[in-house]
Amino acid sequence: MRTLEYLTNPSLGPFVRPALVGAVGASLMCGLLSPLVVLKRMSFIGQGVSHAAFGGVGLAFAIGVTGVVPLDASAGAAARADLALMALVLAYCAVTALGMARLGRRGEAEADTAIGIVLVGSMALGSVAVALAAARASRLGLPPPPSIDSVLFGSFTTVSWAGAVGTWVGLALIIGVLFALRRPMLFWAFDEPVAVASGVRAGLMRHVLHILLALAIVLTMRLAGVILATALLVLPGAAALRLSRSLPRVIAISLGLGLLGVLGGLVASIEFDLPPGACIVFVEMAILSVATLASHTRARSAP
Amino acid sequence: MTSPERRDQAAVSFEHVSFRWPAGPRPALEDITFDVRPGERLGVLGPNGGGKSTLLKLMLGLISPDSGRVRVCGLAPRDACAAGYVGYLPQRIEAELRFPVSALGAVTMPLLLRAKGGRAGARAARQQARSALELVGAGELADRPVGSLSGGQLQRVMIARAAAGHPRVLLLDEPMVGVDVVGQERFAGMIARLHERLGLTIITVSHDLRAVAAGSDRIACLNRTLHAHTSPGGLTPQVLAEVFRHDVAGIFGDIHIDAHKASDCADPSHGPAPGAGAAGALSDALRPYVYPGSPGGNQGPRERPGTTTEA
Repeated sequence: MRTLEYLTNPSLGPFVRPALVGAVGASLMCGLLSPLVVLKRMSFIGQGVSHAAFGGVGLAFAIGVTGVVPLDASAGAAARADLALMALVLAYCAVTALGMARLGRRGEAEADTAIGIVLVGSMALGSVAVALAAARASRLGLPPPPSIDSVLFGSFTTVSWAGAVGTWVGLALIIGVLFALRRPMLFWAFDEPVAVASGVRAGLMRHVLHILLALAIVLTMRLAGVILATALLVLPGAAALRLSRSLPRVIAISLGLGLLGVLGGLVASIEFDLPPGACIVFVEMAILSVATLASHTRARSAP
Repeated sequence: MTSPERRDQAAVSFEHVSFRWPAGPRPALEDITFDVRPGERLGVLGPNGGGKSTLLKLMLGLISPDSGRVRVCGLAPRDACAAGYVGYLPQRIEAELRFPVSALGAVTMPLLLRAKGGRAGARAARQQARSALELVGAGELADRPVGSLSGGQLQRVMIARAAAGHPRVLLLDEPMVGVDVVGQERFAGMIARLHERLGLTIITVSHDLRAVAAGSDRIACLNRTLHAHTSPGGLTPQVLAEVFRHDVAGIFGDIHIDAHKASDCADPSHGPAPGAGAAGALSDALRPYVYPGSPGGNQGPRERPGTTTEA
């Protein structure tokens, strides 16, 4: 197993270990949000936010915040650079998510258009800014920023210990917010008009969920890439909702499937030397197929 | 004008309320004033586009009037909703039926919003939800996932949810749309039981005379303005004719409006629809579910009042 060799290898281990620790945190974070994303039909919003993250990354690169430090820099400096990048991207994503929610208040068609526009706009901004940042780095002799490929599709070597710990902090935050708001949030997710008539503030719920989504995407992005981060927000929940009709079980299954997909994908990525994001998506899709088959079989065998 | 004391007692009060949607060519509601007494059952009858939904949205606090004042149980509508004073049954069930929740869980949701005392509070909320389900005869559905319920079962669960928190005011939006005759009778029975047991104030909004006449103490007719405000017994053909006249005139030409016409007008968007109503049958029509407005019989020449016995 190359994975085990990598983990124990003194020169590769430092890269692989934080990636794995971060991956576990990211998968749990996304697995927790995933059923809500599926039930509230937010996967396209998720796409919008994750593409906005690419725009945010581009902008951060353009102002010199690349998260990359010279090889001889201290661990503290590396962590600071990493956190600065994540904070910038998170701010950009949160603003974009709230903007999309605002534009989308007029109805589904408007929301759809707003997301579509933000998505392409951020992609354009991101690709130009990343290209400019790379040119600037080579001109000034700075360490090159991560390639467009690694930003879009994820890469191991960009996950630092700071990023890995950040993922777990994000997970704790998401658990805390969802637990505090669980009653209005679940009522709103189940039946928005009646929840509103019962005093639930739908706008607040929507904004909170958008911001948690942005947080999860930014923290997952290093690993799975901005394009594929939403896969982790959609696939585990979609599979879990096919497998159970009890909420606690759906959440548990979603967490488990998210974890399984991420770890399976990472191992596959190391074994076959493929981009991790794509491997994670393939494993998650395989799980979803099995779940769909299982739910069909069960429906047929039911009396 | 109502005196302040009386306004505070009213379950719902509108005082000179006007509202215009941003894109609307004219106000949706103009100078609406009425009170609903606690425990009263008010039917609001009006054509499509007459402002019924706007009226409901004002009572739910989803929109605020441009002028005038709406009070629910003496509070601003939003506060009344947040306090659990308002139960609401929307026209279409928009609940996410893939949501992994049992009927009991769905009915418990609004109760949990206000439940206090941790686990004990949650347990009490579940108990309250269970008795609400039993009150509408859906006790045996408690553990079924909502996604596995039939339309009628789901409606019962939704009524239980609207009533579970013992609201003071129950708002029913077009409750009879798409419900067959048997379903309508069962629905009316449930609502009557809730009214009796919980002493609810019930406001039913519909374009369908059958839905509002069934078990209403008073009927208000709404077409941008509130045209009449009367007991079902006093809902004469003349009153209905007055309510719908101007809208109808545009559609049917300047016709003589009789009882038959007036009951037609309940839904002018359907064109010259149920033509079976007759002056003599109108008082019958106001009894639950014997309104002779079934489809068919509306294509032939207009019958004279008093000639049909379709009921």
